[in-house]
Amino acid sequence: MSGSLLSTDVLVIGGGLAGERCAIEAAAAGHNVLILSLVPPRRSHSCAAQGGMQASLGNCVKADGDNPTLHFLDTVRGSDWGADQEVARIFAEEAQIAVRELAHFGVPWTRVRGGKNSYFIKGERVEIEESIENDGLIMHRDFGGTAKWRACYAAAGTGHAVLYAVDSEVVRLGVEVRDRTEAVELIHDGSRCWGAVARCLRTGEHYPILAKATVIATGGYGRIYGQFTTNATINEGMGAAIALNTGVVPLGNMEAVQFHPTGLIPSGILLTEGCRGDGGYLLNRDLHRFMVELEPHKQELASRDVVSRHMAQQMRDGKGVETPYGPHLWLDIRHLGEEHVTTKLREVFDITRDFVGLHPAHDLIPVRPTQHYSMGGVRVNKDGEAYNLAGLYAAGEAACWDMHGFNRLGGNSLAETIVAGRIVGRTVAAHAEGFSLDAKTGLAFGATRHAESRAEDWLGRSGDGPSVYELRDAMATTMMDKVGIFRTGEELQEGVDELRTLLGECDRAVLRSKAPGMNPELTFALRLKNMMRLALVTTEGALARTESRGAHYRTDYPLRNDAEWLNRTLVRWSVDAPEPNYSYEPVGLIDLPPGHRGYGSDERIELTMSVEEYNADVDEKQREHGKLETVDPIGTRIQWGAWEQAV
Amino acid sequence: MTAKTTQAGRRLRFEIFRYNPEDPESTPHMQTFELDETPYMSIFIALNEIREKQDPSLQFDFACRAAICGSCGMMVNGRPSLGCRTLTSDLPDVIKLHPLPVFKLIGDLSVDTGTWFREMVEKTEGWIHAQEAFDPDAQETRMDDDTAAAIYENDRCIECGCCVASCGAANVNEDFLGPAGLNRVARFAMDPRDERSDADWFEVVSNQDGVFGCIGLMACHDICPKELPLLEVYGYLRRKALSSAMSKRG
Amino acid sequence: MNTISPTTTAKRQLTYEVISGGSGLFLALFMWGHMVLVGSILTGERGFNWLATMLEDYYIAQPTVAAILLLFVVHAVLASRKIPAQLRERRKMLELSKGLNRSGREKVPSASQFSPFHPHTESLLWIWQVRTGMIILVLGSFHIILLGMDVLTELFGTRVGIEAVTTMERVQAGLWLPYAILLVCVEFHASIGLYRLATKWGAGAMLSRTAIHHIERVLLWFFLGLGVVVLLVLAGVIPPPLAFLLGGGS
Ligand SMILES: Cc1cc2nc3c(=O)[nH]c(=O)nc-3n(C[C@H](O)[C@H](O)[C@H](O)COP(=O)(O)OP(=O)(O)OC[C@H]3O[C@@H](n4cnc5c(N)ncnc54)[C@H](O)[C@@H]3O)c2cc1C
Ligand code: HEM
Ligand code: HEM
Ligand code: SF4
Ligand code: F3S
Ligand code: FES
Repeated sequence: MSGSLLSTDVLVIGGGLAGERCAIEAAAAGHNVLILSLVPPRRSHSCAAQGGMQASLGNCVKADGDNPTLHFLDTVRGSDWGADQEVARIFAEEAQIAVRELAHFGVPWTRVRGGKNSYFIKGERVEIEESIENDGLIMHRDFGGTAKWRACYAAAGTGHAVLYAVDSEVVRLGVEVRDRTEAVELIHDGSRCWGAVARCLRTGEHYPILAKATVIATGGYGRIYGQFTTNATINEGMGAAIALNTGVVPLGNMEAVQFHPTGLIPSGILLTEGCRGDGGYLLNRDLHRFMVELEPHKQELASRDVVSRHMAQQMRDGKGVETPYGPHLWLDIRHLGEEHVTTKLREVFDITRDFVGLHPAHDLIPVRPTQHYSMGGVRVNKDGEAYNLAGLYAAGEAACWDMHGFNRLGGNSLAETIVAGRIVGRTVAAHAEGFSLDAKTGLAFGATRHAESRAEDWLGRSGDGPSVYELRDAMATTMMDKVGIFRTGEELQEGVDELRTLLGECDRAVLRSKAPGMNPELTFALRLKNMMRLALVTTEGALARTESRGAHYRTDYPLRNDAEWLNRTLVRWSVDAPEPNYSYEPVGLIDLPPGHRGYGSDERIELTMSVEEYNADVDEKQREHGKLETVDPIGTRIQWGAWEQAV
Repeated sequence: MTAKTTQAGRRLRFEIFRYNPEDPESTPHMQTFELDETPYMSIFIALNEIREKQDPSLQFDFACRAAICGSCGMMVNGRPSLGCRTLTSDLPDVIKLHPLPVFKLIGDLSVDTGTWFREMVEKTEGWIHAQEAFDPDAQETRMDDDTAAAIYENDRCIECGCCVASCGAANVNEDFLGPAGLNRVARFAMDPRDERSDADWFEVVSNQDGVFGCIGLMACHDICPKELPLLEVYGYLRRKALSSAMSKRG
Repeated sequence: MNTISPTTTAKRQLTYEVISGGSGLFLALFMWGHMVLVGSILTGERGFNWLATMLEDYYIAQPTVAAILLLFVVHAVLASRKIPAQLRERRKMLELSKGLNRSGREKVPSASQFSPFHPHTESLLWIWQVRTGMIILVLGSFHIILLGMDVLTELFGTRVGIEAVTTMERVQAGLWLPYAILLVCVEFHASIGLYRLATKWGAGAMLSRTAIHHIERVLLWFFLGLGVVVLLVLAGVIPPPLAFLLGGGS
C-alpha cells in the first residue's frame, strides 16, 4: 500500500521554528523545499514558549553594555562547560541578527518605552528611567543565569508570535508543507542520506521522499517521560530516533535532560518560575513548607535543580498528595493576593483557571517537578551536518549542535532554533546541488517496504500481549523515578533493567484496534519502540557518566569532574544491533577555561591538563568520531580571549 | 478552604460522533462511552482515557494540551471549545462531542483546520509586504510599544477554528474569510511595517466574502478561547473600508 | 461588459452594505417617531385627529408614506441577501444557533466560577430577526398600503386622511390582531437590529457590548410597552390615559 515516490532538493523534517527557518533560507536560495510535520506547522511546540528569546541587543537600562561576549560567557557557564564553545560564540553573535530579522518578518516584539517605567524585580517594584534615545527599540526582560536583561519578548507569547511570523514567510515563499505526515525512516546508503520515508497520518499510507539534503528539526523528546513533561504530546523524539536507527549517526549527550520544579498536575503544563520569584511557597501533603528547613538560606528560590530534587524527595517520602495521576505537592501563592495574582502573574492565573478550575488567590495549586528540555539530540558539526552521514542535517532542540552542553539557559533555545535554522539553511543551500536522485529509487523503495513491514507486523500480531499504552506508562514511570532529577548508580541500573525488559515486551505487545486509515493506536505503536530506545540510551548514558554536570546530577558523584568527564557522550545503535555503542568525544575547543559557574557549588575536580593540551587534538578526535568537513575549519569563529575583558 | 482534591465521584457519559472516511464500512453515528470522573479531568484526559482503555480507534487531535497550539477544537455540547482546556467538572453528566463543522473531516473528532488556515493565509497574503530587504547590519526599525501591543493583541489568534465553526455565516458561505481571517487582515492592516495601501485592503475586505460576509452574529466573539476582541476587528475593518472609499472620492 | 474592476465591485458592495444598514437604521428611527405620532391617541381622538390633519395639510404625511414604502422595500431586498438561499443551509444555522444558545444552560453543581459555558443568544436572535422580518414584510406592506389609501383617497371614512374614528373602528373590527403581531415583531426586529448595527460598525470601541445590549433592551421594552398601551386605546379596551391634557375625551 505504498504511494508514489516524491523528490525534492531539500527535505525538512519538522515544521517548528528550526525547520521552518531553515526551509526559508533554502527556498530563498532557489531550492525546491518540502517540509513534513506531524501537525500544521503553527501547532508545533515552538508556539508554547512564552518567556523570551535571548539576544544581547542591550537596549534597556538593565541591559546596558550587553554584547555577544557576555552572552557567550553566560551560555558556556550555563552549560557547565559541556557546550562547544565555538558554537556558543557563533550563536551569541548571530542571535542579534536573528531577532532583528524576526522583527522584519513581523514579530510584534515588545518595545522600550522611553521615560519612567516601573518594573517588578525580585518581588519589588522598581522605577527605572529608560532613555528616550532608545524608545521603540526591542525591549528585554530578565531570565535566570544571565548577567544582563537579555531576553527579547513579545508580551506573553514569544514562541507563538515568532512561529507565526516565520510560518508566514514560509507561505509567502510558497514552500510546500505536508502536515499530518511523519518521517518514519531515513533513506541512506551508510555514508549519505537521500531523504526519508513518510507516513501519511490521514490515510496511513507510506511513501518515499528522495532529497539531496535532509534536515531533522523534530524538536525535543520529553514524552519519553510520559505525561511528566512540559512538552507537547507530539514531542516523542522521532527525529532523533530515526537518526539513531541508521546505526551510523550518533546522538549526543542524551543523558542531559532539564527539569522544571513546577509543572501543573495532571497535565504537566509549565507554571513560570515567577510564582516563586514573587514569593510563592511549596507545601507538602501536611501543608508544611519544607523548603525552609531543607534550604534555610534560599528556600523556594534555590536553583531549579535543587528545588526539584527536594520536591522529588518529599514525594518519595510519602509526603505527596496522592491522585490517580500520581503524587504531587502544592504551590501556594494565595498570600500574594488577588490583585497581584491576576495582574503580575496573569498567565499563572489563566492556566490554573483553565486547567484545574482553581483560583490561585484562594486555592492551592497542584504541582510536581517535570521534564522540560532535551539538551541531547542528533550530533552535528558547527554547520549542522550530522556525524558520519553526509547530506543529513539537524537543527533546533532535535540537534546536539551543542551550545547548551548539560544545561540550557532559558531563552537560549528559541534563539538557537532561528540561528541554527539560518546557518543550516545556508549550508544546505550550498550543498544541495549536483546530485542525481534517479539512481536512488531502489534504495527508496527498499526503505519504504521496510517501514511498511513494521506496520504489517503490528497489524498481524494477535494474542493477549500488553497494550502499547501500558508499556508507555511503565516507561514513563521508570524514567521519572529512576532517571529524574537526581540520579544514583543503583537506581539508574534498575532503570536500565526495567527498560530492557520493556523493550522486549514491545515485541509482544498487541494492538486492540486494526482500524484502517491512520489508526491512532498503530501510529503510536510504531513510535513506541523508538521511544524506548531513546529512553534506554538516556539512562545508560546517565549511568555511565559518573559525575554531576549541569542538569545531570548524581548523588553518588556530586562533583563536576573535568579531569575525566569534560566530554560529550555519543551513542550509535542500529535497529538491528542488539547493543548500543557508546563513545566519548571532546566537547570542542575551549576558549573560556572550566571554572566556577557563578552559582551553585564551587567544588569540582579540575582538568588535569592545560587548555592548550586539551585543544590540541580536539579536531582530530572529533573527526575520528565521525565529524564531517565543515565550511570553515574548526576554531575560525572563536574570538580567542575576548572574554577576558568581560570578566 | 485549602484545595479541592476530589470532585463528586460522577460517572460521565460521553456521546461521541464516529466516522472513519478511510473505512468503507464506517457510517456516521454516535457512540456512547462511560467514564468515572477524576479530579481536574479535562476532555483531553477523558478522550485519552477512552482511547487507551475502551476504543483505541478513536481519532482526535491534541498537541500542546495547554490551550496554545489550537489543535483540539471540537463541539462540546454544541459549543466549539478547546478540548484540552475544557474541564468535565464544568459539564453536565452527559457530554456530547462532535467534530467542528466547516472544516473537512479527517475522522471522528479530528478535522483539517491546517489546510483551511494555510489557504486563508494565502488568500489574505498574511505576511508583511515590505519592499526593502532585511539588512543584517542595521539596528531594528523602531516601533512604538503601544502599536506593538495592539498588533500582538490580534496576533494572539491560535488558529483553532472555534470562531469559524461557531459562525453561522461561515457555516453557509465557504468563501467567507471568517472571523479568524478578518482578524488576520486587521493584524496586518494595522502593522506599520506592512506597506499595503488602504486601497489594497479595500478590495480584500469590502465584499460578501470579506467583512460584509459577517452578519453580526457575535458567536465568534463569545466563543474565542483566546478572548480576541473580534467585534472590534470588524468595526475597524468596516470603518476602514468606509473611510478609504470616501477618501478616494474626495 | 466582461471585465469588472475589483474596486468597482468592492465599492458597490460597500454601497449595498451601507444602504442595507442605513435603511434599517432609518426605519427603526421612523418607527419610534411613528410610535409617538400614533401615541397621540393617548390624549384622545382630538389630539390624534389634529396631528393627522396637520401632517396631511402640510403635505408631510403623503411623501412620508411613499418614502417609507420605498425604504421598506429597499431594506427588505438588501437585507434578504444575507439570508441563506438553501433550506439545508438555513437548517444548519438554526441547529448551530440552538446549540450555542443551549450550551451552559444546564445546571452543573461542580462547575467552577470560571466555566466558559455561557449560553450565547445573539445567533438565535438573528434567526428571529429574519423570521420577524418576513412577518413585517407581509403585515407591514399591508399596513402601509392601507394607510397609503387613507392618506391619499376617500376610500374609508368621510374625508381624505387618517381619522381616529376609522382607525379605532377597524382596529376594533379585528385589525388589532395583525397590529399586535406587527408591533411585537417590529420592536423586536428593530431593537436587535440596532444593537447589531452598532456592534458591527464598532461602537464597541466607545461603549461596551453589554452597555449597548442594555440600551437596546430598555428601548425594546419602552416602545413595546408604549405600543401595547396605544393598541389597547385604539381597540377601546382602555380610555386614553392622557386625555386630561386636552381636557377630555371625544
Ligand atoms: C512549555 C515550554 C516553554 C518554553 N519556553 C521557552 C522560552 O521561553 N524561551 C526559549 O528559548 N525556549 C523555550 N522553550 C524551549 C523551546 O520552545 C523549544 O526548544 C523550541 O521551540 C524547539 O523548536 P524546534 O523547532 O526545535 O522544535 P518544535 O517546535 O518542537 O518542532 C518540531 C516539529 O517537528 C515535527 N515533527 C516531529 N517529529 C516528526 C516526524 N517524525 N516527522 C515529521 N515531522 C515531525 C513536529 O510536527 C513539529 O513541527 C520552552 C519549551 C517548553 C516546553
Ligand atoms: C419597519 C421595518 C424594519 C425595520 C425598522 C428594520 C430594521 C432593521 C435594522 C436596524 C437592521 C440592522 C441592519 C444591519 O445590521 O445592517 C435590520 C436588519 C435586517 N432586517 Fe430589517 N427592518 C425592517 C424591516 C425588515 C423587513 C421587511 C425585512 C424582510 C425580510 C427585514 C430583514 C432584515 C434582515 C434579514 C436583517 C439582517 C441583515 C444583516 O444582518 O445584515 N427587515 N433591520
Ligand atoms: C408609511 C407610513 C406609516 C403611516 C402613515 C402609519 C400610520 C399608522 C396609523 C395611523 C396607525 C393607527 C392604526 C391605523 O390607522 O390603522 C398605525 C399603527 C401601526 N403601525 Fe403604522 N404607519 C406607517 C408605517 C408603518 C410601518 C412601516 C410599520 C412597521 C412595519 C408600522 C407599524 C404599525 C403598527 C405595529 C401599528 C399598531 C400601533 C401600535 O400598537 O402601536 N407602521 N400606523
Ligand atoms: S480568533 Fe479565536 S477562536 Fe478564532 S481561530 Fe483565533 S483563537 Fe481560535
Ligand atoms: S459569528 Fe460570524 S457573522 Fe460575524 S460577528 Fe462573528 S463573524
Ligand atoms: S491541544 Fe493545543 S490547544 Fe488544545
